[in-house]
Order: sequence, then structure tokens, then C-alpha cells
Amino acid sequence: MDKIVAQYSRPSYQNVYSEQDQQDLTESLPPLSLKFALPPVANPSAFLRAMTDDHSNPSCPIKLAHGTTTLAFRFQGGIIVCTDSRATAGNWIASQTVKKVIPVSRLSRGEDKPTNEPTPGLLGTMAGGAADCQYWLRYLSQQCTLHEIRHKRRITVAAASKILANLTYSYKGYGLSMGTMLAGVTPQEGPALYYIDSDGTRLPGNLFCVGSGQTFAYGVLDANYRYDLTEQEALALGRRAILAAMHRDAYSGGFINLYHVKEEGWVHHGFDDMNPIFWKTKLESGEFSNVTSEL
Amino acid sequence: MADRYSFSLTTFSPSGKLVQIEYALNAVNQGVTALGIKATNGIVLATEKKSSSPLIDPPSLSKISLITPDIGMVYAGMGPDYRVLVDKARKVSHTGYKRIYNEYPPTRILVQDVARVVQEATQSGGVRPYGVSLLVAGWDEGVEPEAADMKKDGGDSPAKPAGKTGGILKGGPSLYQVDPSGSYYPWKATAIGKHATSAKTFLEKRYTEGLELEDAIHIALLTLKETIEGEMNGDTIEIGIVGPPADHLLGYEGVEGAQGPRFRKLTKEQIEDYLTNL
Amino acid sequence: MGSPFDINGGACVAMVGKDCVAIACDLRLGMQALTISNNFPKIFNFAPSTYLGLTGLATDVNTVSDLFRYKVNMYRLREERHISPQTLANLVSSSLYEKRFGPFFVSPVLAGINQTTGKPFICGFDSIGCIDFAKDFIVSGTASDQLFGTCEGLWEPDLGAEDLFETISQALLSAVDRDALSGWGAQVYIIEKDKVTQRLLKGRQD
Repeated sequence: MDKIVAQYSRPSYQNVYSEQDQQDLTESLPPLSLKFALPPVANPSAFLRAMTDDHSNPSCPIKLAHGTTTLAFRFQGGIIVCTDSRATAGNWIASQTVKKVIPVSRLSRGEDKPTNEPTPGLLGTMAGGAADCQYWLRYLSQQCTLHEIRHKRRITVAAASKILANLTYSYKGYGLSMGTMLAGVTPQEGPALYYIDSDGTRLPGNLFCVGSGQTFAYGVLDANYRYDLTEQEALALGRRAILAAMHRDAYSGGFINLYHVKEEGWVHHGFDDMNPIFWKTKLESGEFSNVTSEL
Repeated sequence: MADRYSFSLTTFSPSGKLVQIEYALNAVNQGVTALGIKATNGIVLATEKKSSSPLIDPPSLSKISLITPDIGMVYAGMGPDYRVLVDKARKVSHTGYKRIYNEYPPTRILVQDVARVVQEATQSGGVRPYGVSLLVAGWDEGVEPEAADMKKDGGDSPAKPAGKTGGILKGGPSLYQVDPSGSYYPWKATAIGKHATSAKTFLEKRYTEGLELEDAIHIALLTLKETIEGEMNGDTIEIGIVGPPADHLLGYEGVEGAQGPRFRKLTKEQIEDYLTNL
Repeated sequence: MGSPFDINGGACVAMVGKDCVAIACDLRLGMQALTISNNFPKIFNFAPSTYLGLTGLATDVNTVSDLFRYKVNMYRLREERHISPQTLANLVSSSLYEKRFGPFFVSPVLAGINQTTGKPFICGFDSIGCIDFAKDFIVSGTASDQLFGTCEGLWEPDLGAEDLFETISQALLSAVDRDALSGWGAQVYIIEKDKVTQRLLKGRQD
């Protein structure tokens, strides 16, 4: 019986690429189980959870940067993506100049030089483990590029987000930490916004805030959000919501990184120190009256 | 059993007196005279050491006690009560002050603490008042800047630390009397005990402002001589002085900032030297 | 929950200059990540030219400052004099050690000029009263690691009052900008023999 199985399960002649191989190379995604060294223990998933999950275990040995505020919302003119720029390790501010908006799909970008022209492609945001976000968004970018080569058209946001969600789901329990938003405008979907996290969640929506300062951003956004916001209003709202979160959340701060995604691609609207913007907002519009500026 | 006697034994008489305290004062007024004189640069405490028997070994008797390195005490009245108060004064100067502030209490604070102990005995259940009056002599460093004093002085009289007349602020010597009622009085010079009245009259005549410690010791001996019943010598007289820091009593040397006690008792030989020069 | 010292956040620093001392604190009061108030000074006055900074758990900052206000007031009434910085240091030490087995979660910093000698005095404490007599500077709070760095870098001996103000302000502001739990403005006291200057520093509001 074994003999019979062996006979039929292996080709009698040695072809370099089987039918299946060829299909894998051209059609499917590479397997995800991959080349990451796992801890040499009986149950790596449980071990990693014990070492890295700082919700259930605050004194875990592997600390991941968690503090962040990121937001994205859909409106009539496209999608606004806005983030802070702080990276913390515990209470230590490791950096104030982190770029938490990551362009996905570089192929369509063409030129690498900075330009005021919209750059085609998707935007991803970064919250949670910085390394996880950077690595897997780069991985996603690679998949999107391959998709573009194979299909001669840009990937939809729905498909791209699903690649990422399938990925995070396959690593569920291994201690990945990421809360990301994918924003893009495609001919098939129009403006599309998805939330994907390391639990495997994938949600389409109009408005998301992610990170330790999300509640503060939601507060401002929910109060002032309308779908028919003008472009200028939408940009100001995104900036204002991040500003509120930076002010109240200890683990958010630094620079306001603002993007607008529209049909032709995304446009960068500045990476600006929050402090002068804060005082300008306070003094010109009387907001933040909780802050004393005199003795 | 203890409950039955836990009422205060010191109760008001219909005329408003606390006769127990008056009896305690009577005990003081039968006690051996003790006196104190404050000088500009120190204080002297003096008393007679009376032995009821020639068989008593005199050096073992001690009526003047050190409380803190800069504060000393003498009494008139009941010896055992005095020793209890000395213990309590030494203890309270640590528990109530040095363990908190890491420095010894100023004289007035120590006097207040001792006076509280004495007063509590007039109001607590099951106890009698202390049968002693105390003379407490001490030196305070003072907190007011010394530079200001030096300027006023003109700087040409280094012998007299001008302005230091006692008290916590200015610093210098202070002399207090504590009575069985718990009241306390600051004095320039005073006496307590059997011949207190005549001694005070004598002191009033001899005391002058700007007295120096050596003069004060002299006057103290003269006053004692007026009232003493037996012979006056190094064995029958006890003298304690608050004077300049006695670094030789420190027991060590070479430690920067260390200061010897200002309070010390004169030895038999030192007293006899003073007596020969009387 | 983390250490009680890190719940509310806050930073304090004291420095010695030439015939002057300075003490400064941030103004944040938080609950973990959430900033509750930007107006929570941590420096308290206990005698002319004697100041105590308290960082740590905010409830204990309040309790301990009240406790010392009581104790120092009682001292002043009883002794009819102001408490000297050295005496206050020993009072703080003994009072904290009294709670050896259930401490207040505070790290006090003391700065003052002794009115008798005219000499500057600073010291710091751990939460159970060990005194750290320093000749240069004392730091405390959630930004203490950063403050050690900035102070080591900026402080020099015999700074005059104005230079000391610049130094302590820069040291504090730079330190809290690298600490998530402190900042949001700062307060500085420059203490000279018979003059105290209080200044408010506008800090980053993130």
C-alpha cells in the first residue's frame, strides 16, 4: 500500500518546476509559516505570550513600544490620515520624530524624490510594536507590488488589507503587536479605509483612531466629523484631533504628521512640531483654557 | 485596685488653692539651698552637698547633673524626685528633640518639656507632685547672624560676645527655675531651697550687669558662704558651670566641627582653688 | 499597575550656586497616561528661603506637604524662630523613617539658605528618609535619570543667580522632554540670602 502511495505521490521523473510549483510562483502568496526562528520550547505561542504580552503581564521581559495616537477618516474629498510621532519604551521617550505613516506599494510611486504631486499608492499607519508594523507593512508593500506586476493594475484596499489580516491571523498568539489602518482610493472602491490589528481583526469603516491616545482623538473627531467636510476643514480636524491626544496622552506627542489620500494618490501635508501649533490654537481660538500661561 | 486610686490627689481646696502643690513647695523650702547666676559668657550653678553622716563617701553624691552637653541642672527639695526628673529630662531631650531634629533642644524648650512633666504630676491620677524646684542652666547657639552683631560691636572687644544674652534667637546663656506646680521663670540670678530668700537678697546686692563667668563663680561662692551650715571645701560644695566649649572633655580630637560640652562640673580641686582665692 | 512612584508622574531638581540655590519642578499631574492637570506644583515653602520639593504619588505629595506644614508651624510656634534648612532636613528624615514599614511614596528634595551662616544647603531623601547631602545638585521624580544626565552636563560650580536660573531651567525642561510622565510647564525658585524669585516656565504641552 505504502509503495503504491509513494509511486503515485511522486512524479517518476524529476521536473524542476511542477505544475503546482509554477502555480505557487505565479499565482499564490508565499507560505506564511516561514523562516522566523521560534523559541525552542514545547509551546512557542504560550511562551511568547508570557514574554511579550504586557496587558496580562506588565513585567514581561520583552517590552514593545505601545504609546501612539493615529487616526484616519473618510470624507467627501478622500481620506485624512494623521499621526503623532512619539516612540516610548516605558516612560522613556525614545524618539519624537517617528514616521508613523508608511506608504505601501512603491511601484506606482515612480520617482523617489519629494514632490507636491500626489503619489499613487496606499498609506498604512503604525501603532503598537514599531518593528512589527514596519516589517509587515514592508512585506505588504512587496505583495502589493507583486500584485501590480501580476495583474497590471493596482491592488484594491480590500485585498491589501486582507493580505495583512490573514498574515496577522496566522501569527495570532505569537506576540505580534500592531494596530494599523490602511487607506487608499481605488477606481473599484473609491475612498476605502480598513482597520487591521494583530488579533486578526479587519474592519472597513469611515473613521478610526488607534493607539493609547485614541479616546482623545475620537472625542474631537466625533464632535466635529461630517462626511461632507471640505478638504481644508478635514485637514484641520485631523490635526486638531491629534493635537488633543498629544496634549492629554502622555505616550503621544512630538510632531503632527498629516496626509491626505485622494484619487490620484496621497499628498503629505506636513510634519510639524505640535508645540507652536498648540500655543497658536490656545491663544487664537481660546481652546485648551486648562493650560495656564501665566504665573 | 489601681482604678480606685486613679483620681488626682491634687485637688482644689474651697479657697482655690492646690494645697498639695503648696506642700511640695514646703518640701522644696526645707531643701538644701541651690543657686544660679547668669554671666555674659556663661552661667554658674552652685549648691551645698550635705551629708547626714560623716561616714558617707562624699564623691558619690552628686546634685548637679548634665542633661545635654550644653544644659545642666540643680535642685532643691527631694533627692529621689530630682533623679527621676533628671532621667526624664535626659530622655525627653532625645525622644522629643534630638531624635527628630538631630540636634539638642534649646534651653527654653528643654525647660518647657521638663515643666510639662512636672505639671502633669499635678493633674494626673494616682500621683503626687514632684517635691523639687529646679535650676536649669544652658547655652544656646542662637540663629541670628553673628556678622550683624560684630558690626555693631565695632570689632574691638573680642572678649565679650556682645548681644548674646540668652534665648533661642540671639543665643547665649539662660537660667530657668522650674517649680513643683510646673511653672518656670527665667532669671539673671536666683536661689531655691531653705535659705533662698536671704540668698536672693544677697544676690540682688552683688549682681551687676555685664558680669563675667569668673565673677559669677566668685559671687556664687560668697552667696553660698552666707547660708552654708557646715564647712566649705571641695567636698561640701558642688559647682556646675556653663562656659566655653570644653573640647578636652570630648574624649577625642581632630574631628572637624566637633564641639565639646559647654556644661561641666568643677572638680574638687578646681573648687578649692576658687575657695582659696575667695 | 506600576510603581506608586510612577502613577502620577513629576520631576524635581535642586542646584547650588554661589550664595544662592535653586529648586524647580514640573507641573504635570497624571493618572498613568492620562494628564489630569497642568497646574500641580510640587514645591512647598516652609520658611523664608527654605523650600521642599516632593515628587511621587500625588496623594502622598499632598499629605506629606500638609504634614510638614503642620510640623513646621508647630516648631515655629514652640521655638519662636524659623526652621533652618538643616533642621528641616533632619525633621523630614525622621518623619519619613517613622513610616519605615509603610512609607509615603515620595522623594523629597530640599533647598534653602541657612539664615545664620548664610550658606546654601540642598539635600535629597529616599522615601524612608535616607538623606543625600549633595554639594552640587539633587534630582527626583520620574525624569530623575534624564535629570542626572542634564545636570551632569550643564551644572558647574559657583553659578550666579541668573546663570543658575538658566542652568536649572534648561536641565529640567530638557529632562522632562524625554519623560512621558512629567513636563507640561515648570516652576523655578531662585533663592538668594534675602530674596526669592519665582518663575513659571512654559514647557511643551505634550
